[in-house]
Amino acid sequence: MSAPTFTKYVLKRPWLKRWMVPFANWYADAAGYRKLGLRADDLIPEESDTVLLALKRLPPKEAYDRVFRLRRAFQCSLQHQLLPKDQQTKPEEDYAYLSPIIKEIEAESRERNDLEAMVVNKRKKPNNSAEKEAAHH
Amino acid sequence: MISRATLARAGQRALQRHTNPGNRRCLATPASGSFSYETGDAAGIKIASRDLPGPTTHLAVVAKAGTRYEPLPGFSEALEKFSFKNTSRRSALRIQRETELLGGEYSTYHSRENLVIGAKFLRDDLPYFAELIGEVISRTKYTAHELHEQVIPNMALSRKSLLGHVDQLAINSAHGIAFHRGLGNPLHPSSSLPMTKYLAEGSLQYYSRAAYSKSNFAIVANGADHQELTKWVGEFFTEVENSPPKDLPNPGATATKYYGGEERIAHDSGNSVVIAFPGSGSITGGSYKPESQVLAALLGGQSNIKWAPGFSLLSKATEAYPQVHTRTEHHTYSDAGLLAITISGQNAQQLRKAIEEVVKTLKSVGAGNVSKEDIKKATATAKFKALESGQNISTGVELTGAGLVQGGKAFQIDELAKAIDSVTEEQVKKAAKSMLDGKATLSAVGDIYMLPFAEELGLNV
Repeated sequence: MSAPTFTKYVLKRPWLKRWMVPFANWYADAAGYRKLGLRADDLIPEESDTVLLALKRLPPKEAYDRVFRLRRAFQCSLQHQLLPKDQQTKPEEDYAYLSPIIKEIEAESRERNDLEAMVVNKRKKPNNSAEKEAAHH
Repeated sequence: MISRATLARAGQRALQRHTNPGNRRCLATPASGSFSYETGDAAGIKIASRDLPGPTTHLAVVAKAGTRYEPLPGFSEALEKFSFKNTSRRSALRIQRETELLGGEYSTYHSRENLVIGAKFLRDDLPYFAELIGEVISRTKYTAHELHEQVIPNMALSRKSLLGHVDQLAINSAHGIAFHRGLGNPLHPSSSLPMTKYLAEGSLQYYSRAAYSKSNFAIVANGADHQELTKWVGEFFTEVENSPPKDLPNPGATATKYYGGEERIAHDSGNSVVIAFPGSGSITGGSYKPESQVLAALLGGQSNIKWAPGFSLLSKATEAYPQVHTRTEHHTYSDAGLLAITISGQNAQQLRKAIEEVVKTLKSVGAGNVSKEDIKKATATAKFKALESGQNISTGVELTGAGLVQGGKAFQIDELAKAIDSVTEEQVKKAAKSMLDGKATLSAVGDIYMLPFAEELGLNV
């Protein structure tokens, strides 16, 4: 599942963004996962149907790279070592490759739930579009 | 007892209802109904409509994107299965639910030449469905996950169903032998075709731009007002390309040539043999020969009445083999046709004997031994069949759309009836003779140990 975030709130306010972005970058670096060669999206827990489906929808190359990163990180963790500097994840490599797919799947299931909970009203006059009819939920 | 006053009131009301002009129309009275299609142009798109009286409308896009025109195997079917999936405006689920709420239904299918994306709905919902179909053909997203989660598994099922049906296998194989490429492409990818090797979401999307470009499809409506249709098509079909991308191969564009030959496929659930000959193209195209439709009706094989073999030549010839089913079909395409006689049954021994009878009959027809009466009956049957399929809304839609796209002229069944009526006895005999003189197509599926070779039957392939 995607983590709760207040990114949108921050991005809407330029003054807050100016403050927060350097802090966020510092925090992401300090979290340490980049030193093991991971990306932020590698840390999303896999144990949910949504994420499992999202993992299935990854392009083959992305899926392969993800497994490689995870195995390398496990190895590093077992050996109590960090990766050499040149193999660590650079900030520009740390992009969201999985969470957009997760969001898409969540939107799908939200839409399904909304449609399932919809109350249908009889239409008043012809030529009304279906959206108006389906507006009650 | 009903009081007199009540009776009088009821009578008055009935009278009012009868004379009030606003209430006069009921379902059975034609509004502006005409049996012929009215054709036109809306924003560069060819449209044809027929304002059949009735409360429902059938709207369809007929695209020249059947298996004949696919650039790579499986593309036509994949495009069909991708219709009504996620678009950039709404999800597949929403499309489904909205259609359900409006009480409509949508359906898609592809034939060898056409891809038909259609919907049936209540008359008032024309704008909604015009918008929906416009969206489906221009804004479908072709996502990778839909391809892998829905489209490919679906295609695998249709392939399995094809592999289980000897009749379909035989007719597919007959088309392959007769026309090689183009019309010879199998209707569904069969097991020998490496389908997933070619299917990719990007190339499908690219192909969709060609398949749904303005010059490549027509919109056909039954039960819609022409003005209104023109208006809504002009409003909602603005995002399609004017002409297909130039760099896309179009293997189906070359004129179809008939080859003929023989193919034998082993199969353990039933036997089916197709004997096929070149037939007539569509009336909207150039190579139209109505006599070959009459010939198909003359050979026949299936009875129109219950519990009797019927009067057609082949049904009389195979009367002694009740477990064998014989039928003659005329497959009509834009520039070619295939007259196919299918003989099928579980009992291969009987089947073999029946085929021999069928070929014997064919040869006697080729030699000109047909009575005048039989030809008259066959003309009537052929006319009925052609008119019936033209009148039938779903087949009529495809025929009309294909006629518009291929030849720029809608399929008008009145012309068809006239053409069949004008067929003479000599024409039929000549057609039969030239058919047998040329190369035949023989496809045998089933117990190939028992099923005959063309050589044994005396057919030249």
